[in-house]
Amino acid sequence: MNNPEEAIDLIFNSSASFEERCSRVFQFQAERNPFLKRFFEPFGLKPTSNPSPKEIPLMPIRAFKDRKIVVESEGNDPELIFKSSGTSEMSRSTHYILSRQFYETAILEEFKKYFPFDEYITLFYLPGYDQNPYSSLIWMAKYLVGSDPSGESQFVSLDELTEIDSLFQSNDKKILLFGAAFGLIDLAESGKIEPIDGLEILETGGMKTHRREMDKTELRQILSDGFEVPLNKIHSEYGMCELLSQMYSIGDEWFQTPHWVRVSVRDPKNPSRICDVGEEGKIGIIDLANIYSCPYILADDRGVMNSSGRFKVLGRWNPNDLRGCNFLIDNE
Amino acid sequence: MSELQSHIHKVSKAIEEWLQPDNSDLKKAIDRTVEEDFFSFQDIKHQILVLKSTLRKKNLNVWADRAGLKYNSLNQKKVLCLHAGNLPLVGIQDLLSVVLTRGDYVGKVSKKDPYLLPTLLRKLIDFDLIKENRWSLNLEELVGNRMDAVLFAGSKSSAYEVRSSLKSLKIIDDHTPALMRNAHFSIALIEDNDSPTMEDLTEAVFRYGGTGCRSVAIVVAPFHLDDEKCEYTDYVESFWLKNPQHKKPEKSLFYRYAYNRALEIPQAWLNDFLIEENISNPKEKFLLFWVKGDFNTLTELVSMYRDGLQSVYSTSNHIGKEVGGFRVEPLSQAQAPPIWWKPDQIDTIEWLQKKVAHQEKNSQL
Repeated sequence: MNNPEEAIDLIFNSSASFEERCSRVFQFQAERNPFLKRFFEPFGLKPTSNPSPKEIPLMPIRAFKDRKIVVESEGNDPELIFKSSGTSEMSRSTHYILSRQFYETAILEEFKKYFPFDEYITLFYLPGYDQNPYSSLIWMAKYLVGSDPSGESQFVSLDELTEIDSLFQSNDKKILLFGAAFGLIDLAESGKIEPIDGLEILETGGMKTHRREMDKTELRQILSDGFEVPLNKIHSEYGMCELLSQMYSIGDEWFQTPHWVRVSVRDPKNPSRICDVGEEGKIGIIDLANIYSCPYILADDRGVMNSSGRFKVLGRWNPNDLRGCNFLIDNE
Repeated sequence: MSELQSHIHKVSKAIEEWLQPDNSDLKKAIDRTVEEDFFSFQDIKHQILVLKSTLRKKNLNVWADRAGLKYNSLNQKKVLCLHAGNLPLVGIQDLLSVVLTRGDYVGKVSKKDPYLLPTLLRKLIDFDLIKENRWSLNLEELVGNRMDAVLFAGSKSSAYEVRSSLKSLKIIDDHTPALMRNAHFSIALIEDNDSPTMEDLTEAVFRYGGTGCRSVAIVVAPFHLDDEKCEYTDYVESFWLKNPQHKKPEKSLFYRYAYNRALEIPQAWLNDFLIEENISNPKEKFLLFWVKGDFNTLTELVSMYRDGLQSVYSTSNHIGKEVGGFRVEPLSQAQAPPIWWKPDQIDTIEWLQKKVAHQEKNSQL
């Protein structure tokens, strides 16, 4: 597992069961990640334990803010460093990537599954993100641009977007506009964009540059109205700097996971308990591509699972059962 | 005797009768509260004993003097008290503020403490101090009953929700004065580990499972947690032997313990409570932050966490000093405050007289 090629062969090999791959990764983590080793101990888990994926405790995502989370490696410096956006170092997550190959493989495997380069030209509209030199999203976008053999996928500015139709008039490919949700809303509300034939939208849910929180249903409707694109052509990506893998929802609000990722919805009061279908909780993620940092993550996002094993992201988790006198309309 | 004195006397008589050991209504309410597992008998007993000593006539007079209480200042203006239920009889000060100012009390009694407060309400009716049919466990039953003011305690986020609900039920409008308090934790400075100090600290932290806003969530001490842990946990165990913790923490607290281990944060895991040598905004229940420091540390922490801070306590050397606008209170009074203590630094009687007394009365039923 120390050898990235060997680890990639294991993790991205869909012929092995998720349980089998997860078990190997667990053993590696429990041996080589001192942070997780200490976290597992109170749960009675050792490197020799063989817990099922459900039994592995999930690390609160703030760990990426509190500590440098990497497995012990023999003098290997991280090849990449990603940081979440934020105003102070204290509030930013940092993800140290020992091997960029994992990120590259995770990005391409899943993106191409839904948006193959021979069918789509992807245009990245990500205003504001370039101010974070450690943005994992920008890195991913650049990597996808560089990976498109046609060379047609690219970053675009607002001015360039207003001329899309003329730029790609003779092209048979579909155009995928990939952007942070609220940048896209600003665009939709600007009135500067003419309807574009065959346009599809992929929004990442980013909140930058915008004024208020809104749910996915409202967001999708605004994008649909503003760009004159049917709802089934509006897709979403769920990713974060703490995860090397991304999840996509295609034409609706329900995300599906790559075969090396497992998502569950956890009871915030008892993160060991997996919520029932339809029950809201915190989103728990096992991302085997995070093998050299932390593959077991309890996000601060609110989510819900459906009976097909797909999940919906409902926003940030806000605890309301605080200490002290706290009159709550529903509970009191 | 002035009208005000007669009024205070009447209120004090009602309270005295209510607190009589042979008050079968109160006894039944206590039994039912314990049976239905709302609070432990020990916590109710503690609260009743505190009220017995603090709600004496002389203390009501002190409160009236401090607050500048004037007779009939509210003149039957309708005041809605939204009572929280995190500890037994937690809303009693709001109720008495309305009664002493001769407001028309309307109460939303907590479903988490449904029996205790109504026993006092019934007694106050007997003394003609409040009107009948003036409280409910359900807010919806008060629909259309327009109030002149609202008293409430909750988080900032719940305050918005509460106001919206009250408006949609036509209980208040945009202009109705509302005293919304949101402090939810307290802080203490100790300077030694003598028995009385450690016992007072234990009571201040662990009484009511630490769920009160007067409960200590941050302690500043001259020693590290690891140096004091063994001895201090003996005090805690001794407290728990006499006052078993009624409510248990969620399993997520164990996750926090495991996470602290990963971070190598010094901590004491007490199964039903976690003490950690660390600091962040105290929001979680069953958690005590331990900080090594002195009065300067206390001053810094008060400045850092003043939003949400209820009270600052210490032992003899510092009592009465001002820290960031907070007057240092005796640690021993954390769970036994005088009746005139000011939630969120605001005297409720003063507030009612200033914000509500001179408003035009709402004539709607």
